[in-house]
Amino acid sequence: MKVLRSGRRISVLHISVFLIFSAYSADLAPQSKPRPALDFTAPIAIGAGRANPGAPFLRFAPDGRLFAIWTEDRIGGKTKNAAAHHGTGKMAPSPLRDALLAASSDGGKTWSQAKHINSVAEAIQSEENGPKVAFTADNRAYAVWSIPGDKGDKTRANIRFAMEDNTGGFTAARTLNEVKDTARFPIIEATPEGALLVAWIDRRTDNPKPRQLYLMRIGADGKALTANYPVGEGLCECCKLGIAFADVGKKVYIVDRQVNDKQVRNHVLRKSSDGGASFGPPVEISDDGWQVPSCPHSGPSIGRDRRGWLHVSWFTLGRSEEEAGIYYSVSKDDGKSFAPRQLVQVNTAPEILYSNLAVGDNDFVYLAWSNLDNSGKAQIFLRSLAPDGNTWSPVQQLSNAKGNASRPVLVTRSTQLHVAWTETNGEDSSIVLRSAAVSQ
Amino acid sequence: MKFESFCIEFNRWRTFLKWSLPLCVIMVVILPGTGWSQHDHQSKPNSAPVMGTPAVSFELKSLEGKSVGLAGFRGKPLVLNFFASWCDPCRDEMPLLNELASKGVKDGYSLIGIAVEDTRAAVAEYAREAKLTFPIALDLNSAVKRSYRIFGPPATFFIDGQGVIRDVVLGPITPERAREAIRRITIGSKAS
Repeated sequence: MKVLRSGRRISVLHISVFLIFSAYSADLAPQSKPRPALDFTAPIAIGAGRANPGAPFLRFAPDGRLFAIWTEDRIGGKTKNAAAHHGTGKMAPSPLRDALLAASSDGGKTWSQAKHINSVAEAIQSEENGPKVAFTADNRAYAVWSIPGDKGDKTRANIRFAMEDNTGGFTAARTLNEVKDTARFPIIEATPEGALLVAWIDRRTDNPKPRQLYLMRIGADGKALTANYPVGEGLCECCKLGIAFADVGKKVYIVDRQVNDKQVRNHVLRKSSDGGASFGPPVEISDDGWQVPSCPHSGPSIGRDRRGWLHVSWFTLGRSEEEAGIYYSVSKDDGKSFAPRQLVQVNTAPEILYSNLAVGDNDFVYLAWSNLDNSGKAQIFLRSLAPDGNTWSPVQQLSNAKGNASRPVLVTRSTQLHVAWTETNGEDSSIVLRSAAVSQ
Repeated sequence: MKFESFCIEFNRWRTFLKWSLPLCVIMVVILPGTGWSQHDHQSKPNSAPVMGTPAVSFELKSLEGKSVGLAGFRGKPLVLNFFASWCDPCRDEMPLLNELASKGVKDGYSLIGIAVEDTRAAVAEYAREAKLTFPIALDLNSAVKRSYRIFGPPATFFIDGQGVIRDVVLGPITPERAREAIRRITIGSKAS
């Protein structure tokens, strides 16, 4: 009798649950059904393997060609001796490197022979602080990078600039920061009216003040249109910057990480409505409460979709190790406020992670980041977010590094999505690129 | 009677479902938007090595290319310092570590430096420049750093002769703190 009664109870439960959930299932499906993973091409290596290529950055030129800029060790170039150029012996030596630029006209399948941007080998900074490139409407390339100061100090560095000349080469590099040994983490963007905007983190006011955000405008002919000018302060000194434009260059959005007197590091957005001449007060993206006395070399990334939504991703350790991970947020009111952060992926080790995002012409957001796989190696992962702002694709692992993969960059245009990153194994490094077709 | 029982059972389940279904809907529909439902990918590994637990075994290459592993120090207290040539706080504590390494020779403990997130060339040059007197191992792929759950250098582990972690200092270490930690790992050794 008890067996029968128990069996009847289970039957009733099963039938009830089935009927009711069947009735609701049509409503639930659009929210819970994950988007399919993207179909990526096989990995392609970029750069000369023996020269330790690293720190790739990708950009489309207006003519549709895909460009990559990266660093390579100068073969035969001696490592700069720390003691020789720093009286206190404080800083580690920096290898002499070249910045290289190559183009692909077939969506990343094949690449042109790489061009050297710098004619003289310099201690070009790599990793999170690698070279960047931008293009004006006539497809001319403009590059910026950072080199340590005369004393070898990477935190008191200089911003270097070179542009494509009319012979297929590059002009001699020149320093942009007017006060020597004060600048690092440069970014460059071509403005819609045909000029270049360069931004960097500056320490000319130096301790105990946190760093300042400096800008400079350069004409298409390479001549300075403005002097260096500050547009914000309170920056963490080793934070990659992110930048986006809107309204034909009138609006400029820059994301950075702030540090307060309690060493709390939250990410903020600064917005300019006058083409970068001045910026409003920083708007906090998320109160993560990351309190750390050191300076993590990782920074936020920003993109703007056709609707004007601002999408931001970043890494934070938060208020405890349990909170650590890659996060995402969106502003639907042009940067006045941000939605509560969403965890993209939890950090699987006490380690700084690196994230970047790109917004597609289809208003999808593509995020790539580094994290540890199940074997404890750092790999590159990717997710996309549908225009509804809720539907995430499953996490895809893009790399299969024997050592570690780190610092992914990604770019998208029309139906193309490209992701590149640096792989290191022991003392060797290489650049890997993978591409996928995305819907429009 | 049977029909009545069915009705009672049905009403019970209907009441249960009446309350549980909205909760299910909330979990399925609302929580994904908060982001905390997104971590369906990887779980956190075990927490950091703690005092009183065995030190994680490792096998690395030294600056000179020789094998260096935890097993080689078994039976003798060990100070394990994680550092990087580019790390200012690490550089600041190197004179102290040199001093501790010298004392270890007569006090019966060893000291080894593990260079993390660095290159052989940079570490070799720094070791020459700073005149480091203790052996240095290269953790070029960060495997040992990760197994000891260190967010960044410097970090110092004090391991007794049985291979058990007796003290941990995450961040810069002071002479007083180092002396106290070394006392902990050498007391047992001296007694035996």
